[in-house]
Amino acid sequence: MASDHVIDHITLYLDDELQEEERAAFEAHVHQCPECWARLEEERELVMAIRQAASPHRAPQYLRARIEAMLRRSSLTDGVRRVRLWMPLAAAVVMLMSAMVWLAVRSGLHPAQPSAFARLAVNTHQRYTRGQLPLEITSHSPQEISRWFAGKLPFNLKLPDYPESPGQSKPYEVVGARLIGFQQDYAAYVAYRLRQRPISLLVTSETVARPTGGEEIAWRGLRFHFDAIDGWKVLTWSDNGLTYALVSDFEERGQASCIVCHPGAEDRPMLEGLNRR
Amino acid sequence: MIQHEAEQPKSRNIDQEVLEHLDALYGYAMSLVRNPTEAEDLVQEACLRALKSARRYPPTGDLKAWLFTILRNLWINHQKRRHRGPEFISLSAQSDEQDPLLDGMTDHRLRPDRLLDRSVLQANIRAAIESLPAIFREIILLRYVEGFSYNQIAGILGCPAGTVMSRLNRARAALRQRLLVIDRGP
Repeated sequence: MASDHVIDHITLYLDDELQEEERAAFEAHVHQCPECWARLEEERELVMAIRQAASPHRAPQYLRARIEAMLRRSSLTDGVRRVRLWMPLAAAVVMLMSAMVWLAVRSGLHPAQPSAFARLAVNTHQRYTRGQLPLEITSHSPQEISRWFAGKLPFNLKLPDYPESPGQSKPYEVVGARLIGFQQDYAAYVAYRLRQRPISLLVTSETVARPTGGEEIAWRGLRFHFDAIDGWKVLTWSDNGLTYALVSDFEERGQASCIVCHPGAEDRPMLEGLNRR
Repeated sequence: MIQHEAEQPKSRNIDQEVLEHLDALYGYAMSLVRNPTEAEDLVQEACLRALKSARRYPPTGDLKAWLFTILRNLWINHQKRRHRGPEFISLSAQSDEQDPLLDGMTDHRLRPDRLLDRSVLQANIRAAIESLPAIFREIILLRYVEGFSYNQIAGILGCPAGTVMSRLNRARAALRQRLLVIDRGP
């Protein structure tokens, strides 16, 4: 066996990738060839040094806990639910959240701990705003995003398209979306922007997450749970079999801002109701 | 007549196996993205996809390699969605037929005995590995940390075993170069 041929086999030998006969021939050669023996030892040392230096990572404990929780929830929601127009205007709900912050502060209540879903929504929003959470689809078209979600979720998600008045631009726009792992399934994440400020919406099945904790406010047949987590405002609620979480950093605003997003006559009673709170 | 009870195939505890490989998966994700938050996302998503898939089509082979394959495919998809491909290295300087190990040997400064002098700290080797392109970092991890065979690595990377061997050689050659730079100092 020529010396250069043996060098070709050093890596394979050390990686235990030689066939039995090749291995025997290799060993026979290096035992009578000091040069090849030396090179084998050098290479072995390098491999050992790599192994010793490249100490394995350990998964963070909270990640392990999250995966364990995901594994425990073995039942998947297979039912397909049709989402009605659940979001006739994300921006208006953000305004509602602002009002709720004010109410919570004024009433001096000490809300219960936010739900895991609310915390996930805030965490997801934070990562998105830091640029650490790439979107899987980037589009300003709610229809395109709805099509992208089709078949990926255990429920149907159809994003509404805000009706534009002639000559009027949308007060908010959808930016994109992606899937987010939650419990043992996917939640839908949709990124919005309202006047250059990010809004995150997370949607999952009501069987996977129910809104709990925070300040509870009944409104128009729904129960909203408001939380302020790490400076972010998150509102969670369930409707028609799905649970939503909406996150933003919006400050308290007046009714006029809500009207910008709710120009229709059908929205006025709702806004007036909010104003009376 | 002695009756033999039919040997029942042991039911596989996929959940437990996934947990056992969590550290390895996280390490692999870190070698690809080098960002703890992204690595956590990648691992969680890989576990989720694996579990959903396993319930439909229970895996029969090497679960660890299967999990690594899922994670890597997710990473590639994420990279594509970011409108930039995975980190590639130029192969123009050397073909797969050339052995960078031999090239390195022609320069005495690159000899492993110099590089592996006792004074070389393990931290330097870690730093050298960290400075490698993802394509080299991952193959070094797959082979030398996780101990996958060439065939298993080929399955994870979706390439022939011969490519694994040549890529591993190039990874080691690149590592030597980085070690030399560290050895020379600033």
